[in-house]
Amino acid sequence: MEAKKTKAGDWRSYQRVLLPPVKDLHKLDVYENNEGYKALREVLTTAKWDPTSVTNEVKKSGLKGRGGAGFPTGLKWSFMPPVDPNIPRFLCCNGDESEPGTFKDRQLMEYNPHLVFEGMLIASYAMSIKTGYLYIRGEFADWITLMEEELEKAYAKGYVGKNIMGSDFSCDIVIHKGAGAYICGEESSLMSSLEGQRAYPRVKPPFPAQKGVWGYPTTINNVETLACAPLIINKGGEWFSKIGAPSHPGPVLYGISGHVNRPGVFEYPTGMLITDLIDEVAGGMRGGKKLKALIPGGSSTPILRADMIEGVTMDADSLRDAGSMMGTSGMLIMDEDVDIVSWLRRITHFYHHETCGQCTPCREGTGWLENIVTRLDEGNGQLRDLDILLDLCTQMEGRTVCALADAAAWPVRYTIDRFRSEFEAKCSTDSVPGGGVLETA
Amino acid sequence: MPNITVDNETFEFDGQPRLLQLCLETGVDLPHFCYHPSMSAPANCRQCLVEVGMPQINRDTGKPNLDESGQPVIQFMPKLQTSCSLDAAAGMVVRTHKSSELVKRAQKDNLEFLLINHPLDCPICDQAGHCPLQNQTYKHGPEGSRFEFRKVGKPKQIDLGPNVVLDGERCINCTRCVRFTSEISKSHQLTIIERGVRNYPMTPPGIEFDEPYSMNVIDICPVGALTSKDSRFRARIWEMSKTASISTVNARGANCFYWVKDNKIVEVTPRTNMDVNEYWLADEDRLDYRKFNDNRPLGPTISGADVAWDSAYKAVSDCLKGVDGTRIQFLGSAFATVEDNYLLSKLASAVGSAAPTYLAHNEVGHGDTWLRTDDRTPNTNGCERLGIHAADVAALKSRIQSGEVDVLYVLEDDPVAAGLCSVADLSGVKVVLHYYNSTNQTLPAADVAIPAAMAVETVGTLVNDQGHAQRLRPAKSIAGVNRTLSMEIGKCRADRHGTPFDKWYDESNLVNCQPGWVSIPRIAAGLNVEMNYKGPRNIMAELSSANDGFSGATYEAMGEHGVRLSEMGVTA
Amino acid sequence: MGDFIKHPFVDMPDRNPEQVIPNDSLMFTSEEKTQIQTWISRYPTADGAVMRGLWLAQEKFGFLPPEVIKLVAEEIGIPYANAYGVATFYTQYFKEKKGKHVLDICTCFSCQLCGGYDMLHYVEEKLGVHSGETTEDGMFTIQEAECLGACGSAPMLQITNGVFVHNLNKDKIDALLDALREGNVPAFTSVTLPQDEDDLGGNRRTDVTSVESYIVPPVSETLS
Repeated sequence: MEAKKTKAGDWRSYQRVLLPPVKDLHKLDVYENNEGYKALREVLTTAKWDPTSVTNEVKKSGLKGRGGAGFPTGLKWSFMPPVDPNIPRFLCCNGDESEPGTFKDRQLMEYNPHLVFEGMLIASYAMSIKTGYLYIRGEFADWITLMEEELEKAYAKGYVGKNIMGSDFSCDIVIHKGAGAYICGEESSLMSSLEGQRAYPRVKPPFPAQKGVWGYPTTINNVETLACAPLIINKGGEWFSKIGAPSHPGPVLYGISGHVNRPGVFEYPTGMLITDLIDEVAGGMRGGKKLKALIPGGSSTPILRADMIEGVTMDADSLRDAGSMMGTSGMLIMDEDVDIVSWLRRITHFYHHETCGQCTPCREGTGWLENIVTRLDEGNGQLRDLDILLDLCTQMEGRTVCALADAAAWPVRYTIDRFRSEFEAKCSTDSVPGGGVLETA
Repeated sequence: MPNITVDNETFEFDGQPRLLQLCLETGVDLPHFCYHPSMSAPANCRQCLVEVGMPQINRDTGKPNLDESGQPVIQFMPKLQTSCSLDAAAGMVVRTHKSSELVKRAQKDNLEFLLINHPLDCPICDQAGHCPLQNQTYKHGPEGSRFEFRKVGKPKQIDLGPNVVLDGERCINCTRCVRFTSEISKSHQLTIIERGVRNYPMTPPGIEFDEPYSMNVIDICPVGALTSKDSRFRARIWEMSKTASISTVNARGANCFYWVKDNKIVEVTPRTNMDVNEYWLADEDRLDYRKFNDNRPLGPTISGADVAWDSAYKAVSDCLKGVDGTRIQFLGSAFATVEDNYLLSKLASAVGSAAPTYLAHNEVGHGDTWLRTDDRTPNTNGCERLGIHAADVAALKSRIQSGEVDVLYVLEDDPVAAGLCSVADLSGVKVVLHYYNSTNQTLPAADVAIPAAMAVETVGTLVNDQGHAQRLRPAKSIAGVNRTLSMEIGKCRADRHGTPFDKWYDESNLVNCQPGWVSIPRIAAGLNVEMNYKGPRNIMAELSSANDGFSGATYEAMGEHGVRLSEMGVTA
Repeated sequence: MGDFIKHPFVDMPDRNPEQVIPNDSLMFTSEEKTQIQTWISRYPTADGAVMRGLWLAQEKFGFLPPEVIKLVAEEIGIPYANAYGVATFYTQYFKEKKGKHVLDICTCFSCQLCGGYDMLHYVEEKLGVHSGETTEDGMFTIQEAECLGACGSAPMLQITNGVFVHNLNKDKIDALLDALREGNVPAFTSVTLPQDEDDLGGNRRTDVTSVESYIVPPVSETLS
């Protein structure tokens, strides 16, 4: 049966392309010696590579965003309006990696920053953009310093800036330092933050391609997504489309953490069997324990029980059918000893801490969720609290300006759905549970 | 014109209105908090959610797909949309709470969220009775509360500035106040601080919210988070009547409501007039109402002794009889209405005197480009149009001091306080004074002193500095019977929701005064000069046809929002 | 954890704060001003430079008292209230003076399941203060952090918005605290990709001395 097979092909002999095993690849001279900026040069000097052709190649590749939403990248690039010389256009590279469980962009920025720069430049060329902002979360201060140094070298060598490599194309890259807010990873919040406002997300429509930063057409892509662009140019969209799962192709960085013997960031094709990732790649469960549950793509993606992952591969369709999402492919592996309710409590705390507070359901709802789950965790909850929690999830989902409310509600909803017995076991049997501030009528 | 269907009713609309604005204007009561027509719409309160669908356009033909009955197939957006962030579009189909259970549920859920941290302050909150949160909760909200935890505590009863009090717990983070200071008044004194549920509006440390338009945030705040320090706890909204009238603090003539309890002005709030002040009022317009209540005269006096009205009027006519008109100086007033000044100029001409002049009250540097002017009087423009010009103060002062003036007739002003002359200078002059407050500095020099009805007690017309003629309406009653005033008051004192309600009539605080358009004809009659007008409405009817400067300024035309007169000196 | 839901009170900032930075220090050097102007030139409007400006000020003054935020706002040419609103939105801008070393210990998600709370409680015990507080000698501030993006090397912490310390255990914390007391902030550590261990025999960088590999994470004793 096809479902049991990996879609990652012969992954054991996979040759890495995002993080190829080259010492000091982060250095400009090493990067140059390893086909560095070759794709950019080709795009700028070869007649066949006009901006539209670049976008079409990315469309052909089937690349989907690696930042969590999985939107087709080529399609997103095509949303930019026709060029108007009086209206500036911008690219934002989203390096605000703050989704719990996700740590791949950090490794990519450390070990292959020029691939990110090159990707930004190719994307800027494709969309006729002259300034790209690389938004990096403030906690990655050391990595920002590294990237600033390498960027300066790239400027000096003429890979960035005016008339790149002697062509007509000029593009600047500006590294913007965040200051500690998960919400800035949301694309419209990133734009507000870039503009120096409080980082509130914005209502869509208008979409960033119509009205983005400072009101100008803008495209926002994740670091890893843009890093794929030079590969697509160098080796072709078709080559890319044949890697991994056909509906969600390409190399991807899996960030595996939790109760495994060998956590870390691994580059493999999409479509890996979850079981392969846990048992082989990550060295199996720590201490010989049994798997209880896992989160496939960062804390916002629904939890999967151990008995739900048979034959499930890491690509958007398979995970959706299994009842979860690809997200950032940041996987958290949980063994049999994990207290699911305590774990969920910490997640609700995270969202409560990180909500920007702009819109009502999220601002109030995240706190209420944390209150109830905390009460449950402490043994003072009641069965009807579970009903209230599920109700609140319905009240928050789809009602807000951005998806943080959905991201806060899904863990609660699906964890209760899939581990109900654990929650019920913690419920109090007292008719009036202790610890509440107000007694119910 | 394009069509839109709301709750199965299709109607036309024009322009590109916001969906929420269109619904409100056509009587669909969509609940909302953060939307305000004058400012950007952040769509963050999430209360105005509706189901929205557009005709499904066939990608090949570019035309709508039709169903069996020939109607366009409507594709509904997968998520509920905030109507404040969407423009109405041709063919749009909208379902509100009236026709959609999902929307009804969404509105209830949203109110539930708003209420979980909202303090139970209604009994002590000034906003109660005119609170959108109360009203919408009553109509659309949940029955009770399921929230069993501690509500978030924030700073309460904080003086944000000299005029505005903040209660952080009541705030629902609609950001209207912050948007006001950044988009409208541009003082940038407010910001939301902190993040998440800890959000609330505040000034940055070291800054007070002391801009001259600070109190506007009180009106736009949909809850009791921002309240007026001046009128805090003074009266419940249902204890006051409100009258649509004009502010008289400066020459801009901003439209306002005077709120009255026990026949005293309690509060002044803005009234929307897109041609004059839009939705706003300067703080100075709101705070200068005590003069209507305090230090009011007890009645007419002759040389300081109380007399009856008829005696006072006769005394005035006697002052003027037989005096050489060139030795009578009439002073009109830019504080007084057009009608009163008009009658005064008729009286002046009847006794052979030159046209009245008025004393200018300009505070240089006080004005700005918005709602404040250097000119501290409301009717300078009206006086000018009547041919009453600014007095040459130096010349007049010297005439008085050199004994060239036998009678000084002052309409509703205070020449001594204005620096025209001293009480001593007037010792040899007969002074007739129509005045407002017993603190008037010319009063000691007055031979006959006539208490005058102030702007909140009379019917009249004022013309602002832009030539906009607007009507005053009486907000509080005066002593004595006056048919015109009674009729006007009966028509225009409504409660908060527009219901005529005579609950506020009481006998207390009735000032014994008369409008100029009552006093002057009575005085003129004593000189056998006829001024036969049924009331100020008729005075303006005559003026609007006889004087080009007032062309079009009839009471019917002025209505609630006034009439823009043509520029002075420009014939129609 | 998360005291806020147990004590959900939001304090008001001091509306008439005493100036902490004396006037003769409350200014930017000409290099700093040039730097700020450079940042301003990289955005369509000056507002974009406010985050960089606040970072520069925080690095210079140690934290961001109101007068410093005002200075930044004036230098960039934006309203003081806007800069203040931005400064209070983000966690990494310190609005109060912190200890010499701020220890942001991650307890979120992966770190929670790999002993993050154990490390937090251990540090609290060793330093004698709770999370959110500063030691009396002004040396250390402990803070509980949300996901720092180093989940594979859990549990971990960050030192004063700077260097990450990965794969914590009690011994490592003891050594770290001692080093910090001496004024020795650890060097940047590169975490080796497991695939690099296989393909390159170790970390791929030759320009860092401190490297760590991903290891089997510890068992959590507590999840809160």
